[in-house]
Amino acid sequence: MQIEVKNLSYTYSKKTPYEKQALRDISFTVNEGEFLGIVGATGSGKSTLIQHFNGLIKLQSGQLNVLDIDLAAKKVDYKALRRGIGMLFQYPEYQLFADTVLADVMFGPLNFGMSKEEAHSSAKEALILAGLDFDAVKDRSPLEISGGQKRRAAIAGVLSYNPKILILDEPTAGLDPSGKREMLNLISSLRKTSGKTVIMVSHNMDEIARYCERVIVLGESELLYDTTPAELFYNYDIATLGLDVPHVVKIVKKLRDKGIDLGTDIVTEEKLLERLTAFFGKERI
Amino acid sequence: MRDITFGQYYPRDSVVHRLDPRTKLLISLVYIVAVFLCRTYWAFLASFLFLVISILVSRIPVLSILKTVRAVLFILLITVIINLFFYGDGEPIFSWWKIKVTWEGARFASFMAMRLVFLVVGTSLVSLTTTPMSLTDGMESLMKPLKLVRFPVHDVAIIMSIALRFIPTLMDEINKIMMAQKARGADFDSGNLIKRVKALLPILIPLFVSTFRIADELALALDARCYNATPNRTKMKVLSFNARDILALLFSLAFLAVIILLRIGIIG
Repeated sequence: MQIEVKNLSYTYSKKTPYEKQALRDISFTVNEGEFLGIVGATGSGKSTLIQHFNGLIKLQSGQLNVLDIDLAAKKVDYKALRRGIGMLFQYPEYQLFADTVLADVMFGPLNFGMSKEEAHSSAKEALILAGLDFDAVKDRSPLEISGGQKRRAAIAGVLSYNPKILILDEPTAGLDPSGKREMLNLISSLRKTSGKTVIMVSHNMDEIARYCERVIVLGESELLYDTTPAELFYNYDIATLGLDVPHVVKIVKKLRDKGIDLGTDIVTEEKLLERLTAFFGKERI
Repeated sequence: MRDITFGQYYPRDSVVHRLDPRTKLLISLVYIVAVFLCRTYWAFLASFLFLVISILVSRIPVLSILKTVRAVLFILLITVIINLFFYGDGEPIFSWWKIKVTWEGARFASFMAMRLVFLVVGTSLVSLTTTPMSLTDGMESLMKPLKLVRFPVHDVAIIMSIALRFIPTLMDEINKIMMAQKARGADFDSGNLIKRVKALLPILIPLFVSTFRIADELALALDARCYNATPNRTKMKVLSFNARDILALLFSLAFLAVIILLRIGIIG
């Protein structure tokens, strides 16, 4: 187990009129190599939860163990913890600051104690991995490259120190459809080639359905469901939580209402197509 | 960072909260003048009583008021030390090299300290009991006479309310950027002074860029809604003085009178 959460609760602005409970008694575990999705309406505590994992928010009550580091301990080595976790915030391009893209990507490796040469080579690797043309962008200011390139540079900034766990908060927000797809394919191929654990917070249920193996649903500060996407979208009513259903699932449900039952495990377009061809025969599609 | 109380509005249902913002601004003006006129312990005692009564009536927890003093603690300390050790005049209690502590100096230092604390607590009581919106409404209304000399009262008021409105937004922004850089291993709490100042660059640069982006978006939104297309804007909430406003003003004027009488030595 890479992450173990037990009875975690968190309250903002304790003992002031703005006091607000963000998380209540949350327990779950994340295993190595998993692709976990976290969903929930705005204000359900998703961001607060993930910010616990690398110690950006200090544990108030409950137990939390990440990469064999006990966050409830009196003294926590946050640097070691953060080195193992690559956290990408919403609109990560707003955190770029250095004179050049290369210097910005080297920021993490240098902070974590790599030498200049090591940092340079791992930054180069990360930029290429993130799909950028290294020689074209390395000396440019992060403010003058395009929006999509900025996001890639920001991702390279966390990949550069080779974290074991990637935590992504709405990684596709603000991107166009093809940008979204490219981003998610990049993440999913990273996971396949390097075996990284990926935790993704998203509002887009199509993305969750397509890429995640497991989903956690937060609502009103509590953990409501911990299940697979197919199970979640077919067996639970998530519309009342203000959550959408993937388009593929909508189509399957509509077909079922018309008397065409394709099963309740279809969450990707490919699988839908496969079932449809099996049902109707190839020539009729 | 999120828990910072910058004299931030503290919602409560009290007489002070319900006072017209103009009343509160006028009273704080009277209060500031009075505190600067204080020259004796009796006068400071009177100011203290006035302050305590105001706080009790406002029903704001004393602790969150005292928190505002924390912001000026450093200035307070410097003021006290300088006045205490370098005042110079009077009978020395203790002296060493150029440092001389005198009764006069101690008295003066304590007066300066009290003045500073009273000013901070008194003025933050206004911002704790008034929403930024009604505060700027009040200021705009009080500054109206300046329109006669072509002073852009409304523009100044809107600039002020935007500035106040964006304090929490920018705090949020700082918080977000800080978290992102910390996640990448940035360290803001260790090393010597130069190292720490350097460590702030990864926060300040994105903050600077974001501020311009937000300002640009806001300007666009204002334009899109035809801001300033009509010369005379009306208000949704029209300010009005009540009996309690008059009573509060009279109370503060009475307090000022006491301070003046103490100052010219008629009483005390």
